[in-house]
Amino acid sequence: MIGWTGRRKSFTILAFILPTLLAITIFSVYPFVFNAFISLTNRSKFRPNPDCSQTIWRIVEPTCWLSTEQRGMAEPFSFNDPIYKNYSDLLGGLFTKESVLALLTIGAIVAPLIVAGVVNGRLGKRLWRPVPGWAVWLAGLIVAVVLAWLLGLGDAYNTLLESGDFIMVNIRTVMYVIVCIPLFFILGLTMALILNNDYIRGRTFFRVVLIVPWAASTVAIMMSLIWQFFFRGNGTINQILANFGIQGPTYLNEDWWSFAIVVLVNLWYTYPFFMVIILGGLQSITPDLYEAADVDGASWWQQLTNITLPLLRPAILPAIVLSTLTTYKVDAVVWGITKGGPVKGAGLPGFTEFVMVHAYKQIFQTQAFGRMGAFAVILFVGLFAATLYSLRITRLTEGAYE
Amino acid sequence: MNHPPKLGTKIAMYVILIAATLFALYPIWFAVLAAGRPGDRLYTFNLAGMFLPVQWTWDNLRALLTETSFLTWIRNSLMVASLTAITALFIGTSAAFAFSRFKFYGRRGGLTLFLAIQAFPGILSLVAIAQILAAIGLYANHLGLIMAYLAGTLVFVTWNLKGYFDTIPVDLEEAAQIDGCGPIDSFVRIALPLARPALAVTALFGFMAGWGEFFLANILIPAPDAKKTAMVGLFQMANEVNIPWGRFASGAVLILIPVVLIFLWLQRYLESGLTVGGVKG
Repeated sequence: MIGWTGRRKSFTILAFILPTLLAITIFSVYPFVFNAFISLTNRSKFRPNPDCSQTIWRIVEPTCWLSTEQRGMAEPFSFNDPIYKNYSDLLGGLFTKESVLALLTIGAIVAPLIVAGVVNGRLGKRLWRPVPGWAVWLAGLIVAVVLAWLLGLGDAYNTLLESGDFIMVNIRTVMYVIVCIPLFFILGLTMALILNNDYIRGRTFFRVVLIVPWAASTVAIMMSLIWQFFFRGNGTINQILANFGIQGPTYLNEDWWSFAIVVLVNLWYTYPFFMVIILGGLQSITPDLYEAADVDGASWWQQLTNITLPLLRPAILPAIVLSTLTTYKVDAVVWGITKGGPVKGAGLPGFTEFVMVHAYKQIFQTQAFGRMGAFAVILFVGLFAATLYSLRITRLTEGAYE
Repeated sequence: MNHPPKLGTKIAMYVILIAATLFALYPIWFAVLAAGRPGDRLYTFNLAGMFLPVQWTWDNLRALLTETSFLTWIRNSLMVASLTAITALFIGTSAAFAFSRFKFYGRRGGLTLFLAIQAFPGILSLVAIAQILAAIGLYANHLGLIMAYLAGTLVFVTWNLKGYFDTIPVDLEEAAQIDGCGPIDSFVRIALPLARPALAVTALFGFMAGWGEFFLANILIPAPDAKKTAMVGLFQMANEVNIPWGRFASGAVLILIPVVLIFLWLQRYLESGLTVGGVKG
């Protein structure tokens, strides 16, 4: 490490990082602080302007910086009473008796799966397992399904959906993530295993061709429009079906069709990323291990589950965490295809209106600025906590801090 | 698990590979077909026309280039994306070097702050950004858009380059230091020349992020038509009442091809950048 000290050192370091720090403060930190203030007010389409005579807004609000004159005819916005009103509007539905009960129900239904995972982890450390891994998972799954039937998963789900837009949107987004990530992983793994086979010809060609969708994801909004044309009422798919005398549905008007399409298109964009990561991981596994396993007479499946997957873990885990976060924040893919629809009834979030799409619509169509400020603050806390936690479990920055 | 596969397995593998290739390429091929289809139609009743260019016309492309502002949009996008990338690189490189080489108070906090910013989607602070830009008179202005992009790109650039500087051994700089080379000299004369390829790759990624961005551009430059970026312009074209499909598809293909080529060229760096820099946009 470079060893000079004193005032000169401080000045030099400051000179190195000041421009970056300044830009980030103005365009990332300040907007966030500003947002946090707005989240405490009733600012909306009807009360868009600040009261510049108040000191706090003279400092925080950019439109007050140049002149304190009152703008517009509408009454200026003011702090809410109680001050956390936007937050309680968004999250309040979670704390009613019914919602807490519903949450507990869902927790009870998921619990057997978590127990199965823990039990399996314990068993994996033993030399000899009394029960195979799949049996533990199956038992957990059966208990979960029975519980879901007994406790009424559907009712709990509906109760939560009715407890507010924010919660509804979040539940659907989480559902979307839960559906997407395993698909990314399975397809990515399958393709990587095939591409890693020395006896397949043209692997370089296929490898390049298969990552083209990943490349297209840099212009996701436009590529999604092209995908949308496939599923229009008289789009490509239905045209092809019509040639065989079949009348296809209007996919984008139906809830689960839209959901499936958004999953499919995101799969198209994202699985190549998994494929490349897994392929890299596969190439770092020494062939000796497989030779030894062959000598012991291990089947292909045993080699996959006992050698390949455990050794891929360090490569895959960061990828899964990273894409869990990006899938939660999905925007352009959905906006290009469904725009959050299909919407059933004015003011209700559409079926594919995931978190970011909801935020975009609320800010620029409903213009409920105060409420969306609270939305942003809550999301920030959640996402930041998730990022820190994911860093801990993946050790992505192990060494990066040093 | 590299045994010669059985014949059946091998055939199955090729079938999956070919199916995956069709899945990967058909949407793009479809856009190419739509770009060359006469009559500005998205589809054709001719089944073969869904897969092969049975009819081909350049009219759509010509109309796109002459009757719409497409070329202006492209110019705007090029300008915004490249200026963002260059500015971010210009500002961020020295910070990356400082974070990689110096120990100072607040360093860990700074890196965590970067992660927090990276985790937080820019859309959510758009209202505030729009108001700042309005207050300093840069709303509906390319300069304002560049400033709005800058924060996100800077974080990416700094993390990425910090990761790269971490991989350059510090020995060279220590040797130079003994010869009387200060920190600024060791940055400018030693680290920067060594990091040249990483700088280029980082700049290209920054460029592509700006090139494909839609939401900020859509809000921060609402009008006039001649100021819009390519993504916003094309998106609006695809949401008109009578959608000019052929023109839209031509534009999409023109935007897509360079992006795909650059990306394919960059992807070998992406894999290592992912493990080194640790943050994907």
